[in-house]
Amino acid sequence: MNVMRQTDDATATAEIKIAAKGVQVYYGDNHAIKDVDVDIADRTVTAFIGPSGCGKSTFLRCLNRMNDTIDICRVEGKITLDGEDIYDKRVDPVQLRAKVGMVFQKPNPFPKSIYDNVAYGPRIHGLARGKAELDEIVENSLRRAALWGEVKDRLNAPGTGLSGGQQQRLCIARAVATSPEVLLMDEPCSALDPIATAQVEELIDELRSRFAVVIVTHSMQQAARVSQKTAFFHLGNLVEFGETGQIFTNPRDPRTESYITGRIG
Amino acid sequence: MTAKTSLLTPDARTKRRNAAEARFRLYGLIAVAVAVIALAGLLVSIFGNGSSAFRQTTLHLEIPLPEDKLDKSGTRDLEVMKKVTTIGYAKVLANALEAQLDAQGISVEGLKSKDISKFLSEEAPATLRNQVLEDPSLVGQKITLELLVGGRIDGYYKGRVTRETALLDKNVSTAQLDLADALKEMGLLHTSFNWGFVTAPDASEKRPEAAGLGVAIIGSFYMMIVVLALALPIGVATAVYLEEFAPKNRFTDIIEVNISNLAAVPSIVFGILGLAAFINFAGLPQSAPIVGGLVLTLMTLPRIIIPARAALKAVPPSIRAAALGVGASKMQSVFHHVLPLAAPGILTGMIIGLAQALGETAPLLLIGMVAFVRDYPGAPMEGFFDPATALPVQIYNWTQRADPAFVERASGAIIVLLIFLLAMNAVAILLRRKFERRW
Repeated sequence: MNVMRQTDDATATAEIKIAAKGVQVYYGDNHAIKDVDVDIADRTVTAFIGPSGCGKSTFLRCLNRMNDTIDICRVEGKITLDGEDIYDKRVDPVQLRAKVGMVFQKPNPFPKSIYDNVAYGPRIHGLARGKAELDEIVENSLRRAALWGEVKDRLNAPGTGLSGGQQQRLCIARAVATSPEVLLMDEPCSALDPIATAQVEELIDELRSRFAVVIVTHSMQQAARVSQKTAFFHLGNLVEFGETGQIFTNPRDPRTESYITGRIG
Repeated sequence: MTAKTSLLTPDARTKRRNAAEARFRLYGLIAVAVAVIALAGLLVSIFGNGSSAFRQTTLHLEIPLPEDKLDKSGTRDLEVMKKVTTIGYAKVLANALEAQLDAQGISVEGLKSKDISKFLSEEAPATLRNQVLEDPSLVGQKITLELLVGGRIDGYYKGRVTRETALLDKNVSTAQLDLADALKEMGLLHTSFNWGFVTAPDASEKRPEAAGLGVAIIGSFYMMIVVLALALPIGVATAVYLEEFAPKNRFTDIIEVNISNLAAVPSIVFGILGLAAFINFAGLPQSAPIVGGLVLTLMTLPRIIIPARAALKAVPPSIRAAALGVGASKMQSVFHHVLPLAAPGILTGMIIGLAQALGETAPLLLIGMVAFVRDYPGAPMEGFFDPATALPVQIYNWTQRADPAFVERASGAIIVLLIFLLAMNAVAILLRRKFERRW
């Protein structure tokens, strides 16, 4: 199906972090993802776009095995992280998720303090040896999520008391705190206002210097703004995958063109 | 084309809708009023009948303890002294009362010596005897005691007995009432708060004035400890497992349906089960709080599991996703995040379940907790195996007795039970508030 898959020279220069080959996902009898091949490059923002229900979020959730929590969900094919099959029987999804962090559509901070929200991941993974080290991780993570200046005086205030945009950045800080190698973002700005969205987008661009970022978005403008690579999904198929600039200015598949120009969606 | 209507005059349709709404509000008000009246009626009747159980009339009496009656041998040997029964002490009391009347110069017309000896409660000689046997050196001295008067005399001061009813009642004479009035005037007879009602054990049919709830309260308390210790961990563990870990298949469906069914099983069925399983098969003693607690645990379990599952279900899935997303294991996500958020709901369900168990009567009748128990159960753990009664069973028991004074006692016991239930509900509300305040 993936005749349109791009293997540009530009991609080849960046190291491949996640490679998906022939991925099929079934929800019971429903074939949700059909034979998808995608290579996620390191230190790059890859955007998944497509109409609602096209499977982009489902595919994203395969990358850190969040689909495991859904009983009727079945994943076939091969997804590798640094060459290791993440669906291998020996892989503990808990360990995988520490390496592949995730930010969700709706900001979902824990009903705990801001500090505890960020410190939770490092605590359960034993990343800090003492209080001082943990404080440092929390501060760095909050700084990286561009939230430190706003919350440094009230780290003990509840995380749920922040505004929507701040909550989402707190969730990003929480995901960053476990030092992941890949950060998955499932429509991270869909619940945010334009100003908060701009802040998060700026943040995504900065995060690119440290990890591979995969972002699912409904907004094509957003994909164009933040990503270097874009994958277009339609009805469970990966229709086109390539350089963001090329996808938006010169799509090769007529379906991509129709979507971008607003004829399907 | 319809004519243009004015906003100032409502049209027929709007009027009908408004009338329907007004009627509905009226029905609601009527329903609330009926409920409030029923509750008020219940409370007025219970408090009207029962509040007098918390007051008791006692007689302040000086009692000489003659050695020739109580310890003929003069050795103060307990074994010998125990041979003097309460009948002997009753005579001592009657003499003391008569002597006091002479000394105070009280003379009542038509008062026979039988009236004097029946003036005090049948419990009074036993009280005196216990006192003397505890401290034999009292013999030969003069002591003063607050002694219970008979149930009818007590009833005279609570409005239950009047001079008219006394004429028809062969258990009390008007001369006794005159005597009571005379003693009251001298300040020897007075009514005070009835601690005995809360602390004393049950008493026989003939002496309602001495009957108390002590054994029943301890029995109920022990049973609640057993229920709490067993039902809370088992119930919460079941709810957490079924809700968070169990695969959804036919087997767990069957378990789910059965838990719901168990919650609907009449409580007396659990009593029969308890009788068969714990007493006949396992050989645990009858009337023991441990058996009552086990039976009530079985009965309470589904009533804890169902609200606990509902509380767990109400925790937003995004919290679980967030925990898993940062690499928490399933168990960490449940114990660090889901369970604390569900705690208020679980605790509320728990306390409502406990309150139901506290008021449960039927299963306890079947395992023998309806017995007449005078001895306090011992301290835990042995105390769990000693015979005891329970509050609701004690109420049931008293309502069956003939003496009208037991009506007052039963209503008083209901008040005590209601106070316990209110206290438990208050704890539930407080716990809820406390946990919910954590954002």
